[in-house]
Amino acid sequence: MVGNMSIKKYIRLWWLMTSMVSQNAFVSRFGAIIFILGKILRFASFLFFLIILLSRTHALVNYNIWQIIFFYTTFNLVDSFAQFFLREVYRFRTYVISGDFDYILTKPIPTLFRILFGGSDALDIPMLLISIAILVFSIGKIGNITTLGVFLYLSLLINGFIIAFSFHILVISIGILTAEVDNALWLYRDLTAMGRLPIDIYKDPMRFLITFVIPVGIMMTFPAKALFGILSAKLFFLSVIVGLTLLYLSLRLWKFSLKNYTSASS
Amino acid sequence: MKKYFLIAKNTWDEMLTYRVSFFMWRLRTILQLLTIYFLWFSILPQNKSLLGYTQSTMLTYVLGISLIGSIVLSSRSYIVGEEINSGNLLNFLLKPINYFKYWFSKDIGDKSMNIVFSIIELTILFIILKPPFFFQTNLAYISLFFFSVVLSVILYFFFNLLLGFIGFWNPEVWAPRFIFIILLNFFAGAIFPLDILPGKIYLFLKLLPFPYLLYFPLKIYLGKLNFVEIFTGLTISFVWVILIYILVKFIWAKGLKAYTAYGR
Repeated sequence: MVGNMSIKKYIRLWWLMTSMVSQNAFVSRFGAIIFILGKILRFASFLFFLIILLSRTHALVNYNIWQIIFFYTTFNLVDSFAQFFLREVYRFRTYVISGDFDYILTKPIPTLFRILFGGSDALDIPMLLISIAILVFSIGKIGNITTLGVFLYLSLLINGFIIAFSFHILVISIGILTAEVDNALWLYRDLTAMGRLPIDIYKDPMRFLITFVIPVGIMMTFPAKALFGILSAKLFFLSVIVGLTLLYLSLRLWKFSLKNYTSASS
Repeated sequence: MKKYFLIAKNTWDEMLTYRVSFFMWRLRTILQLLTIYFLWFSILPQNKSLLGYTQSTMLTYVLGISLIGSIVLSSRSYIVGEEINSGNLLNFLLKPINYFKYWFSKDIGDKSMNIVFSIIELTILFIILKPPFFFQTNLAYISLFFFSVVLSVILYFFFNLLLGFIGFWNPEVWAPRFIFIILLNFFAGAIFPLDILPGKIYLFLKLLPFPYLLYFPLKIYLGKLNFVEIFTGLTISFVWVILIYILVKFIWAKGLKAYTAYGR
């Protein structure tokens, strides 16, 4: 039955689960509004800082103010996108330690799909829309953008989402093996936050580390560089290989962790 | 007094019980520090100054903020709201213990642990990064710096209580804290020194309590303020401590009247 599920059914299922979680999120309207405002404020405050800074320095590692805003907003888009779709991962530890994970395993829904996409967060939608609007506006300000650049940007953005997706699979796999999820997730968030600015600001070996070992640079910086036409073809293909390899490894670890799940807490 | 010392000591034991959590928390602090460090490192060229800061003073600021942050911002009292919501507050009301002193002791235990680790981490970062660093040698500045940090610790403690007391009336205690942390990061000078902001915004910010949590103590350390500015800043900081203390006492009294020990 599971193997026969069509994409249409997956989308319907996702919509159903998201609707239910969204209703839950808006039970406390006060909380929901404060969280949305907080997310916008967090984005705006750092943006304001960048504008203040670059209005004085005029450039940061040879990028002008609009390019830096574009880097920052790309980070924000990838980050918000992952949070929007994969919010259920933040609740995964509770499922493991309470034994509810057993219940999820017995359901006729692919477990990985349920754990990753079981509760998209509607509170991230405003931030996603704001990010897209600023990106479009920035492109207009930067100028000299080619159609190929846009195509490469979108391709690497998808690659960035795949990496984010893979990281979340890694986190839940570790969660099954160790019951440790929250810290790993926040560590992931802090690591990716290093991509708020182009990774060119970091010195080696840190730059190498956050490009290829923990591919924050590939997720956040490379898409924007491709749009500006300053990313080599070699690095483009290398990025795709890193993304797909990470996805493959995370799925392997997921299968391994499922085989080793002992259901000790239920 | 002994019981409060034991509470602080027990906080160490609690933190060492969840070693992975504590290790991850420290690792996250280092990552946040490195992002800001490298940002300023790439902006400020050596032997040149920008926005009134040389590379040495700015990197001292960034590293100093990390240390002061581990003193001021590390706390346990952030779970007061949860305690109220879960009904656990009732346990404390029945015990011969001062609720405020209990949480302050826990905060002190948390802070002492974080200070120790922060010093170790910064030492390692110093060895690896070899940053240009400004050592303050003027004893008057150093004494005033420590006094300012003490005021910051008290101020932050009262803020935590105040945010937690929202739990008396509303179960949503995390959302206001989320906003508070964002405001704190920006207005306390955790990312950048506030005096790089346009003059009018900076003057307005100086009237708020946030700059006195991180930015102001560090400016004293850097010797960037004259004694009149330090005295004015300490006075504003002290006034905020008193005002928030009065508010905390008032809301605590009101909250207890509204408290129904729901959840117990």
